[in-house]
Amino acid sequence: MSRLCALLAWALLALQGLGEGATEDEACCGPIVPRREWKALASECAQELELPLRYVVVSHTVGGHCDTPALCLKAAQNAQHYHVRTRGFCDVGYNFLIGEDGLVYEGRGWKIKGAHTGPIWNPKAIGITFMGNFMERSPHPRAIRAAKSLLACGVARGALLPNYEVKGHRDVQQTLSPGDRLYDIIQEWPHYRE
Amino acid sequence: MRKARLWGLLWTSFILELQGAPRLEEIKYTRTEGQSLNESCPFNVMKYFSIRKAWQRLGDRGELQTLAITDRVSGRSSKVHKDRCFLEDIPTEGILHVHMADLRVEDSGLYQCVIYQPPKDPILLHHPIRLVVTKDPAQDLAQRSTLPPVTTKARVKAHTSPSPVTQLLTMSTVSLYSPGLGVNPTQGTDVLNMEPRISVISIVTIVVCGILSKSLVFTFLLIATQRSFGR
Repeated sequence: MSRLCALLAWALLALQGLGEGATEDEACCGPIVPRREWKALASECAQELELPLRYVVVSHTVGGHCDTPALCLKAAQNAQHYHVRTRGFCDVGYNFLIGEDGLVYEGRGWKIKGAHTGPIWNPKAIGITFMGNFMERSPHPRAIRAAKSLLACGVARGALLPNYEVKGHRDVQQTLSPGDRLYDIIQEWPHYRE
Repeated sequence: MRKARLWGLLWTSFILELQGAPRLEEIKYTRTEGQSLNESCPFNVMKYFSIRKAWQRLGDRGELQTLAITDRVSGRSSKVHKDRCFLEDIPTEGILHVHMADLRVEDSGLYQCVIYQPPKDPILLHHPIRLVVTKDPAQDLAQRSTLPPVTTKARVKAHTSPSPVTQLLTMSTVSLYSPGLGVNPTQGTDVLNMEPRISVISIVTIVVCGILSKSLVFTFLLIATQRSFGR
């Protein structure tokens, strides 16, 4: 009986070693609001990313607050409008937008180079943004869940390296983005690296 | 009493294993003589905007050799050039570009980007860089078969892993993802085709080595436990 227990302990340990390698591969890709659903203007961007990428840059839009699909849909449109019409980008600058409705909105996606940071980081990072201003308040937990799920999906799809690193926008450029409260949160993420 | 103690030891070790320790994996580059190495090391804009950075080589016994150091300029981009090393510090973007030109076989080794702040210890940026510089493969090919150069490099990566288990664990995984494996795009495509096969071999090797190393520890504990049963 004791021998059996010892063998069990041994087997469990071996399995645990195996388990270490199999965490993010098991993530299923959750739903993402596609461009046509949030009535995005057609993208004119063509530059592609060389996948898999090592970095994710987290920012905030400093736009209006939204916590329902209807409001966040509008917020996504506003973000794109600002980038395309006012700043002359080929599309909304972010690869993905996260709403406090708990939904992920498709921006440039996994394959097209974003315009979320600068010429150095855009080719090497996926830029995700939280829609809203998070200097004084934290995003709703469902927004955080949506973002984490999105990044696990990125690994599962081969768009992100399994040991990808998350950086706050202020870690790589002189900016207040992603806001003090959101920055506090992402610093606790397992993939965060300053 | 002794039985209980040994069981306690067994389960404590099990729980400690569960916690694990974070590993900073090496990024491996393979080059031939005459080629160059380019790497970008990110640093935190808020913390290290005006602080000097350096490119160092780690000797086999852990000794550090500083090859180049950025200038003492506050917050502006700066470029330095020392021997065959070029550094470009772009503080507004939080990036240090490193360029090593005209590589030689003796340049093979471990390198790192650091925050340079003597007398304090340097702070490692990014990942340690493992550079392997080989002789011109065209010379090797003349003696071998008609295999393309990149296949030879891929095989070297998969099979000439060092014996220490921990090194195998860190290096095998990372070398699958390091860019710049070939000289031209067609060779790069060949490597991509080979990668799935290499992945399976490496994954199986890692799993087996992981199980074996832990099994060894527990075999000893098991023997100790059995002895305590008073046979």
